[in-house]
Amino acid sequence: MNPYILAILLFGLGLGTTITFASSHWLLAWMGLEMNTLAIIPLMAQHHHPRAVEATTKYFLTQAAAAATLLFASITNAWLTGQWEIQQITHPLPTTMITLALALKIGLAPLHAWLPEVLQGLDLTTGLILSTWQKLAPFALILQIQPSNSTTLIILGLASTLIGGWGGLNQTQLRKILAYSSIAHLGWMILVLQFSPSITLLTLLTYLIMTSSTFLVFKLNKSTNINTLATSWAKAPALTALTPLILLSLGGLPPLTGFMPKWLILQELTKQGLAPTATLAALSALLSLYFYLRLSYAMTLTISPNSLLGTAPWRLPSTQLTYPLATSTALTICLLPLTPAISALLTP
Amino acid sequence: MLKILLPTIMLVPTIWAVPAKYLWSTTLSYSLIISLISLTWLKSSAESGWSFLNPYMATDPLSTPLLALTCWLLPLMILASQNHTAPEPISRQRTYITLLTSLQIFLIMAFSATEVIMFYIMFEATLIPTLVIITRWGNQTERLNAGTYFLFYTLAGSLPLLVALLLLQNNTGTLSLLTLQYTPSMQLSSFADKLWWAGCLLAFLVKMPLYGAHLWLPKAHVEAPIAGSMVLAAVLLKLGGYGMMRMMIMLEPLTKELSYPFIIFALWGVIMTGSICLRQTDLKSLIAYSSVSHMGLVAAGILIQTSWGFTGALILMIAHGLTSSALFCLANTNYERTHSRTMILARGLQMVLPLMTAWWFIASLANLALPPLPNLMGELMIITSLFHWSWWTIALTGGGTLITAGYSLYMFLMTQRGPLPAHIISLDPTHSREHLLMALHLLPLILLISKPELIWGWTA
Repeated sequence: MNPYILAILLFGLGLGTTITFASSHWLLAWMGLEMNTLAIIPLMAQHHHPRAVEATTKYFLTQAAAAATLLFASITNAWLTGQWEIQQITHPLPTTMITLALALKIGLAPLHAWLPEVLQGLDLTTGLILSTWQKLAPFALILQIQPSNSTTLIILGLASTLIGGWGGLNQTQLRKILAYSSIAHLGWMILVLQFSPSITLLTLLTYLIMTSSTFLVFKLNKSTNINTLATSWAKAPALTALTPLILLSLGGLPPLTGFMPKWLILQELTKQGLAPTATLAALSALLSLYFYLRLSYAMTLTISPNSLLGTAPWRLPSTQLTYPLATSTALTICLLPLTPAISALLTP
Repeated sequence: MLKILLPTIMLVPTIWAVPAKYLWSTTLSYSLIISLISLTWLKSSAESGWSFLNPYMATDPLSTPLLALTCWLLPLMILASQNHTAPEPISRQRTYITLLTSLQIFLIMAFSATEVIMFYIMFEATLIPTLVIITRWGNQTERLNAGTYFLFYTLAGSLPLLVALLLLQNNTGTLSLLTLQYTPSMQLSSFADKLWWAGCLLAFLVKMPLYGAHLWLPKAHVEAPIAGSMVLAAVLLKLGGYGMMRMMIMLEPLTKELSYPFIIFALWGVIMTGSICLRQTDLKSLIAYSSVSHMGLVAAGILIQTSWGFTGALILMIAHGLTSSALFCLANTNYERTHSRTMILARGLQMVLPLMTAWWFIASLANLALPPLPNLMGELMIITSLFHWSWWTIALTGGGTLITAGYSLYMFLMTQRGPLPAHIISLDPTHSREHLLMALHLLPLILLISKPELIWGWTA
């Protein structure tokens, strides 16, 4: 892509999120979200491949619908309460509409159906931006509204963890697996939102780091399905040895970083008297763990000539910067002992 | 405490820095030195029971024998793995020993943890190196299934444990073992409290394993390479027993009624898994089921909450750890020569390897709990306390002892006695390494005859 166009689009992406972060007026927040959507659309369709164009169209339609619902909800709130402050939403009708609109924006169940198909149509870099950067602006809004209807959020959360777990079980395409993993992690974030937004922020940040690691690993190996993962030992042996740890961290196993959000969320849920919810959420994480484990088996724990699943790949010199991958991998594996520091940092 | 933990952590850079031809001898001697220093823990001096105290770790007479066993096992694992990893490239050998060492680090931290959440995190952390050892270095395709069963059975039990521990922390304000024994006992009466009780124990019962949740064990033990089988049988099962013993303090008074079905499962499991052993064709599978059988006795001993029960459980855990690991090493000597675990394929070995027969003999006698070995002491104390709890258990435990003797004899006769098959035409003679390995397993067991106080736990 022409570097000037790329620069403008990336700038637009950054500006959109920044506007949403900085806004206290609903209209400005909506504008930032729309800028994000519009800026990423050319990035998604840049390869002009029919599958990419299909993904772009689906993304545009869902995000536009969500943004329109958001606009409608904020106007309703202005009509009912006479003000446009983001943190002053108190009326239940706009609150529910905004919660559902933002759920559609990020891909929470039951509004998740677009995410696997959209992610599948994108190349890994754009998919990485979609899974990480595009979640920041909606979460800035989610963290600021004070949702009062506890049952809706818990149902959204549990449904997401279960659907994210079950949906990913039958997938062989890596981008769809990462989409379902995204849905599951978003479920965990929403579960604890009404009790402790700082834990939601912590979960979001750790998820961003872990999923960046995973996307960057797949990008380095140029693999998009499980079969091509099997030959990654020949391309990057040391990284292949580390990737099970990244995947198990996504699955939430101690002593890796991914355990930190789960631990804190379960602690908060039990403090609030929701022990059965906590148990159900914890057990649903086992479903996701199954497909992460399967990825580790295919990639690292079995080796040619035992698995001739992928054909001999071209091993061209890679121009990918390895610094982001190295940093995010280190953080994905080793951050658990810093749990008290991180949760104190994120508590206002 | 850090005198042992930090050297074990520093073993990891040592593994990667040492020149290739000194790798195995260096790691072996290093880990032997660590294990000899760990024996100093056995002399516990403090009045309160907790010694070698620092804010996060301590040892007491319950954890000390298990810690010494864990530290003792690392050199043995290294010794046992030297041969089968020899054809692999050197960096893979280094990775293998690093996995064994990281497992050791997590186990030391688990057994010496004073805070129950730290114990939980380390308990779970042991799963990852074990999973990698089983699925990457196992020899048959079934190892993937074994790894999955191992991971998911353990996690399905331990995730409710996490929720139960967090609930306990809300209730008592702390989860430090140092003070938890002094908190007043809780009013536990509702159905939710009974679910909480089950949540506290389920993880450890799956780990031990209790008959009924034991399906992961034969798979994992059989498919693992020798070091994996050794550490699984000797130490990882004991994590379950140790966890149960620690949790029992807080679970009063529900345990009096709620433990009935689990005691029955445990005792019935002794009989059932013992009987299965009599029909096994796979040697490692026989030893794995024998582990289930012994740990069933341990589980029953812990669940009845008497002092003899606890003491017997601890003694049996240590003795079984050494015996089972020795038996797996013996089975591995067969496997390395014939590349098969089928028993009838390598029979009558007394003709060919008579010195190994001596080790088979001692190990089989230990397995069937011959006096004066500590295996008998543990079994007898558990059987006696169970008899005191209810006269009827003698039918199950006595029958179990009989069946144990039966299959131990069967295993010995099948592998050692009888005619040598015609197809056995060349077997390597026994390496000195293998003799050393067996001696290092069975000598501590024999020495414990003279000072069993070391492994008596709190009643010492």
